[in-house]
Amino acid sequence: MKGPIGGNPKRARFQALCQSLRPDLLRFAFWLSRDRDLAEDVVQESMLRAWKAQDSLQDETSAKPWLLTIIRREYARSFERKRFVTLDVEELIAREEPMLAAADEQDLVELRAALFRLPEEYREPLVLQVLMGYSTAEIAAELDLSSAAVLTRLFRARKQLRTLCGEDTRMDPEE
Amino acid sequence: MMDCGQYRRSILTDPRNLDADMRLHLDSCPDCTRYTEQVQRFERRLERAVSVSAPARSARVVPLWPGRSRSAGPLRRRRRWLAAAASFLLAAVVAGTLWVAAPGRSLAADVVGHMAEEPDAWARTTLPVPQPKLDRVLSEAKVRLKANAGLVSYANSCLFRGHQVPHLVLQTSAGPVTVMVLTHESVRTSVRLDEQGYRGEIVPVPGHGSLAVLERGSIDIKAVRDVAARVLSAIDWTA
Repeated sequence: MKGPIGGNPKRARFQALCQSLRPDLLRFAFWLSRDRDLAEDVVQESMLRAWKAQDSLQDETSAKPWLLTIIRREYARSFERKRFVTLDVEELIAREEPMLAAADEQDLVELRAALFRLPEEYREPLVLQVLMGYSTAEIAAELDLSSAAVLTRLFRARKQLRTLCGEDTRMDPEE
Repeated sequence: MMDCGQYRRSILTDPRNLDADMRLHLDSCPDCTRYTEQVQRFERRLERAVSVSAPARSARVVPLWPGRSRSAGPLRRRRRWLAAAASFLLAAVVAGTLWVAAPGRSLAADVVGHMAEEPDAWARTTLPVPQPKLDRVLSEAKVRLKANAGLVSYANSCLFRGHQVPHLVLQTSAGPVTVMVLTHESVRTSVRLDEQGYRGEIVPVPGHGSLAVLERGSIDIKAVRDVAARVLSAIDWTA
């Protein structure tokens, strides 16, 4: 396949678009997989798939959700390929410690470790909302859930996070 | 009208978006106001936590685009820094304990404390905040800002001492300057700030509370005052 460099301006624009979105997509893949290397693999493979399918993207403003959907599917595929049986969260945290504890962000270590411990069904909608800025309706559409289910998951995600981080939860509402 | 349980459930699902019913409840409930401050403080940490470093280009040998050579396989970096993690967790616990034990603080200390919670706002950029977002933040405080205020790169409606206040960052040639429009906080005279690397002033705005203006150590205080004067001249108080 011929690369875009020095070639078609449409493809060059597509490349620039993907590169501008890459940091957020990598962050999303990281929180999905909790593994920096796997996240890089998933984003890389997703970019290749996006490259091959770029003609199906009609509107550049839809690029972010379009790529995000590709990443979720690619992550699911990689998970099936590797046939992970169990995940040891403590080992994942230890392995990703440099990622969780950048030098200037040491106050966030505990919170990032707590995010690692959240069940995926809670972590994913929370990251879509907080990192990607998705509305409840957009999360529901992406995850194929009802809006009520999304709200419940977001509520439980924050409630569990607050408990895991030792926040004062005496005023937290009951389920 | 919404009760406390309903309100707190709603704020936990989306702490950044308070609808009219929630605001109505908040206006009449000091406990939920306190709870909202706590939840929004946690949310600001959460926003920083999810935003892990992510380079625009892969550090790996794998090319971003087809047409170039690919490496044989993913590069695996596996390191265990458990001792460091334990130190960081201990530091977080100690810092948390000190925070909880802190006595009631001055307006200046609260302003500086709030700055430290939103470090991402200090980015140096030429990109303005989207106008709809700026309009929404300002309209919640019943103010408007004329274009002569300068480039506003960040705008957020923050819960501060029980009130939603506009938190803006203006870009100057010397760097970013933060402005908080504190319509509920009156000061008699200008209050100088010089704490934790932040410098600036809280200036009185007769009839409209005060304006806090801060920088992070690289800008002349006179330039900070100029920003305060420019913002004050650009604000339309609609209430």
